[in-house]
Amino acid sequence: MTVAAEVRTHLARYVGPLLPIVGAVAVGFGVCGLIALWVGLSPGLMLRQLIKGAVEGPQLFETVARAVPLVGMTLAAAIPLRAGIVNLGADGQLALGGCAAAIVALYLPAPDFVRLAMALTAGMVAGASYAALAAAGEIYAGVPLLLSTWLLTYPAKGLCGYLVRTSLRDPLTAWPSTARIAVGARLGSLIPGTPVNRGFLLIAGIAIAVIFIDRRSSIGFELRLRGLNERFARYGGVALHRQTLGIMIASGAIAGLVGAIMVLGSQFRYTDGALTAPQYSWSGTLAALLAGGEPVGSVIAAVLFAALQTGGFAMERSVEIPRVLTMVLQSVVILFLAMRGAIWKRP
Amino acid sequence: MIDIVKRYPGVLANDHVNIALERGEIHALMGENGAGKSTLMSILYGLQSPDEGYIRLKGSTLFLKSPLDAIANGIGMVHQAFKLFESLSVWENVVYRREPRRGIFIDGARARAQVEELARRHGLPIDPKARVANLPVGVRQRLEILKALYREAQVLILDEPTAVLTPAEVSTLFTVMKSLAAAGCTILLVTHKLNEVMAVSDRITVLRDGRVSERLVTAETGPDEIVRAMTGHHVTMQIPKQPRKPGKVKLEAKGLRVEQHGRRVVDDVSLQVSGGEIVGIAGVAGNGQSELIEALMGLIPIAAGTVSLDERDVTHKSVAAHRAGGLSYIAEDRARTATAAAASATDNLVMGFHRTPPIAVKGLLRPKAMRAWARGLIARFDIKIASEDTLVGKLSGGNLQKVVTARELAHNAPVLIAEQPTRGVDVGAIAFIHAELLSERDRGHGILLVSAELSEILALADRILVMYEGRMVAEFARADADEATLGLYMAGGTRV
Repeated sequence: MTVAAEVRTHLARYVGPLLPIVGAVAVGFGVCGLIALWVGLSPGLMLRQLIKGAVEGPQLFETVARAVPLVGMTLAAAIPLRAGIVNLGADGQLALGGCAAAIVALYLPAPDFVRLAMALTAGMVAGASYAALAAAGEIYAGVPLLLSTWLLTYPAKGLCGYLVRTSLRDPLTAWPSTARIAVGARLGSLIPGTPVNRGFLLIAGIAIAVIFIDRRSSIGFELRLRGLNERFARYGGVALHRQTLGIMIASGAIAGLVGAIMVLGSQFRYTDGALTAPQYSWSGTLAALLAGGEPVGSVIAAVLFAALQTGGFAMERSVEIPRVLTMVLQSVVILFLAMRGAIWKRP
Repeated sequence: MIDIVKRYPGVLANDHVNIALERGEIHALMGENGAGKSTLMSILYGLQSPDEGYIRLKGSTLFLKSPLDAIANGIGMVHQAFKLFESLSVWENVVYRREPRRGIFIDGARARAQVEELARRHGLPIDPKARVANLPVGVRQRLEILKALYREAQVLILDEPTAVLTPAEVSTLFTVMKSLAAAGCTILLVTHKLNEVMAVSDRITVLRDGRVSERLVTAETGPDEIVRAMTGHHVTMQIPKQPRKPGKVKLEAKGLRVEQHGRRVVDDVSLQVSGGEIVGIAGVAGNGQSELIEALMGLIPIAAGTVSLDERDVTHKSVAAHRAGGLSYIAEDRARTATAAAASATDNLVMGFHRTPPIAVKGLLRPKAMRAWARGLIARFDIKIASEDTLVGKLSGGNLQKVVTARELAHNAPVLIAEQPTRGVDVGAIAFIHAELLSERDRGHGILLVSAELSEILALADRILVMYEGRMVAEFARADADEATLGLYMAGGTRV
């Protein structure tokens, strides 16, 4: 193969799929600009404030800090999506993971370092087992994953809420939450003076691992081919049930880890509803959808969403352009991408 | 049709094709896959419009924008997949959109009388009140022809009309075709079956690479000449076969039953495939062959009975377990089951090999080995594809079939289930695939062959089972089988 041809195949393989995403984002900005014009605001000002709010000075670290849980939840959504299945229960797995991490970090009689490691592990195990429960429901009882994952969210959130109102309740606060976790058992700051904690390293490591497995391993091959044609994967000898279980365990473990990182790295206690309030699991699902579950694209989309969200907050504070506009932007981008079946695939 | 040109991106499907149909003749249109038959047909029936050239009918030029225009001009078509309302009756299907009316109501009595009269006139016996869902395939085809005649078709296009028929139904169809032609109807028969063309047609036009390669008068030609015109070279149709040396039983099914919607689609089937033999399952499509194979493979649930591979029970186990037990499988549904259209040729060709060396080492894929593997199979099976990165969804049916056959043969598995392994494949490649199947057999592997082509079964199989309505109704050693006997059992003639 000539060099030119090789470059062309690589472009087609890696850049080609990104074109629709870039197009959709451009259209999204266009639509938001028009809305801004319509209500008498300057689109240029909006864009400038949005970008400044996302990346300028200390705002950059705000974006990075927000990207850590968002990328994590995006990966939790992207792994199943890559195989064409959907985990709608990430919120439940997130809450259980955070709650389990808090319990271990507060009550395990062990040295600080061990407590921290065990707390992180507990978060992953809690999320993974809960997701595995949903997978087992589909495999052995025929309950569709879409339903089981989603419905199992409520008992999980309910259980954690009950615990922090009763036996785990910290009587010193007005909120239904646990006591504060000792400094030694926390995930420390990664860059002093910023909200970026060491959870960044964990999520970055996981993102790299997911991308590597997706691209280079037999497991990743089976995942991708199932997403392209499930019948073919089964015909070809992929053990779908075992795969479903593996997918859900991986997805749930990452969601649980994100819960643990949020509790151990920034909130330092488990407060009822505090993990799910920022709706990382929804933003994560959207980011993963944006890239069709492809991990590199998903991570890029997640970072973009994190930037948009911090930028949106800053824009609202500084020039009183409502943050809702950034949500409109996200929605337009997704809607436009959903149309690509009709628009982009035309010859 | 004069000077028809049709271009698709990268392909010249019809390159200045001229074809003249005379009133009252049966004209066969032949060619290998991708020769441009389908394109030419769809242009004649108004499904596509030509880039250049035009159609003239009885001296006037036609511009067909849709099949409705074609029908209005007396051109009718019987598709390979019938287009009927299954839940309606025969007469309702015939008069649809041209109902005789009384006020705003359909005049049912008159419609039935008209259909009856039409059927009698053309020698197509049919009960106008029967439900289509209850009719056998041959009768449904008769109904399709009636539909076209009711719309006063002067030119009738038949697309591979015998693919789903028993030999007896085929000869009935030929009689009908001849009497229609004698009554002044022109028939364009699109097919790749040589013997049928020889039996029924008056003239033959052969297409190759989008061009007319030969115009023949049937009475003055023979199969060899037609094949040469189709392929451009001479192909031996007969493959020399070694005597069989059957080994021990590799695949065995006992009392197998599959139920779908409360119906026994596979009913008490027992069979054995030993190493070193090819067992053929003959039968008209839709008599439970697909379900039997899917049950053997673990793709659909089994209601009763057992399946064992090398004396190990695999009943109710996953496809993965069947494959691990030494079974490989060329599935009939190549586009939906046997390939992933949105995946590259490489991905499709390494499926099943993606866990073991040289494709993967310690669970990690070797991209260079994957490509080399794919390129090797593409070259060996002469798959016409731009590169190994091309998505297989872009391939023609015959090439897609080669991807599937190449991959499954590469497994070198002790037992191979080959379901329609050469459907849509060109004549040259059929010979190659047949030779590959025979050499699998000679290496001591067992093959279970399902084919709707009796000629394929007769050419390859050592033993022949006949399936009818979910049951095995007959078994023959190859030497005792001939087309007429098999045809009788395929039509449900006698039960054993």
